Amino acid sequence: MEKAINPTTQAVRRYILEFGLSMAAYAVVLCASIFLFARVNGVWRIVVALLPIIPVGLVFAAGIRFLLRTDELERQIMVISLAMAGGATALLSVTYGFLEVFRFLPAPSAWLTWTTFMLAWLIASFFVRRRFR
Amino acid sequence: MKNRLKVLRAEKDWSQAELADRVGVARQTIVALEGGKYAPSLPLAFKLSKLFQKPVEEIFDPESGD
Repeated sequence: MEKAINPTTQAVRRYILEFGLSMAAYAVVLCASIFLFARVNGVWRIVVALLPIIPVGLVFAAGIRFLLRTDELERQIMVISLAMAGGATALLSVTYGFLEVFRFLPAPSAWLTWTTFMLAWLIASFFVRRRFR
Repeated sequence: MKNRLKVLRAEKDWSQAELADRVGVARQTIVALEGGKYAPSLPLAFKLSKLFQKPVEEIFDPESGD
């Protein structure tokens, strides 16, 4: 009897493929965006600056597809850790926002929110995963 | 949730990976189930029930909670 491939393994393989292709597209579009930015004017500069968002959207879609395809425990771990990361990011953003309002801190780069969320997700994943071992 | 998965799997002489493949989940899920750290979804509980040919309540103890 031929051994069937575990659906979770299939989901991981497809995610790696989709993520890899999306990141390759991101690298190409980012290079094109940097190249074109100095060569266009006006509203086109905004369009060119935002071009890399398209492959970033593909990375996001790959992540969502993985979440839907993977096995139930992995999905639960991802959903709990994403919720914790979202909550922690919101809490830290509000904390920073208050300090910013009262001029204790300067307005940060929007990248800080993304970095905070990803870091919080990484930490939350570690602890949530440990709970199910 | 307490269960008899480990015993039933041993009776069949299956590894955790083999059982995981048979019900289409990751081995980590079987580890968590056997350790009582995770309560399965209804579809997974029915798959296990069908595989071991035992009613769900004979595999999982509903009184033991999550």
